[in-house]
Amino acid sequence: MRIKVRSWQWGIGLIAALLGLLIVLQLRTEFKIRAKLPTRQVNELAQILKNQQMRLTKYESEISTLRRQLNDYDRDREILRLKMAAGLTPLEGPGIRITLSDSEKKLKEYEDPVFYIVHYDQLELLVNELWAAGAEAIAVNNYRLGSTTGFSCAGTTILVDTRRLAPPYIIEAIGDPANLKNALLMPGGFVEQQILSFNLKFIIETVDRLRIPAYKGSISFDHATAAKEEGGN
Amino acid sequence: MLIPIIGALIGILIGLNLPFEIPVSLVKYTAIAILAALDAILGGIRAQLGQKFLFSKFISSFFANTALAALLCYLGDMMGVDIYIGAVAAFSIRLFQNLSLIREELFDRFWIWRSGRREKDM
Repeated sequence: MRIKVRSWQWGIGLIAALLGLLIVLQLRTEFKIRAKLPTRQVNELAQILKNQQMRLTKYESEISTLRRQLNDYDRDREILRLKMAAGLTPLEGPGIRITLSDSEKKLKEYEDPVFYIVHYDQLELLVNELWAAGAEAIAVNNYRLGSTTGFSCAGTTILVDTRRLAPPYIIEAIGDPANLKNALLMPGGFVEQQILSFNLKFIIETVDRLRIPAYKGSISFDHATAAKEEGGN
Repeated sequence: MLIPIIGALIGILIGLNLPFEIPVSLVKYTAIAILAALDAILGGIRAQLGQKFLFSKFISSFFANTALAALLCYLGDMMGVDIYIGAVAAFSIRLFQNLSLIREELFDRFWIWRSGRREKDM
């Protein structure tokens, strides 16, 4: 009888231990909560905490996905694209080559030779026409035109930026050859009126594979600084 | 009577020294579980006083009550029903009932014991 009593008493002892453990754990957590928060809202706050933690894990996984995408993004490609746009890298591709030089016509006495030589504004307008027709890169006498390039006239020579040009002027433009050619040869257009009518030498050839060097001028910003983009769309 | 007390003390000591705590979001359910466990223990004491104690019944009531109470409260929360309140009410009522019955029984025993001693003295 005595042994039988003992055996179940051990069981009760075990259960008492379990209960004590549970109660103490509960009280520990409860006291910790009470030390920081008003009791009445604990359950709601616990719910909020749970939700926030779920959202946190969701956002964390989102962040890691985005980081991975960022790493995947080819930064070098973007840099190359910008360099191409800025003219800092040599380019090649199909396009047209224009050769322009002074008229070879024997002038009569009454004719003013001024009209029969190439002027800087003709060159500039021609380049403008090419840009407008969708040229992606243009070089004049193997000098790449950058974003700040301008033509000017210094006495009898034409300057592009600070570089002297001498005839024949060879203008190479990368772009859709047919488009560029058609744009230039448009009836009543700039070429017909300003170049062909003065008997200037003007040759257009289509080239399958043009090579245009990088812009060699200086790029410096002494006055301009990058500003924040306004609006933004 | 000594073994349960020693067991409780051991449990408390372990509980005080455990490195982890119940997560805040689960505290509600463990509270109900503790209430159920207390109820089971008081029920056991009462049964023993009434000479009806069955160890297997006691064990099953302890674990089943505890687990079911916590689980039901959790389910209630999931469904948006405050079973929590119902469980607290039910277990509290049973707890007080058991307590009063135990007190009555002990009181009776005390009187019987005392009157017996008095008879001896006389």
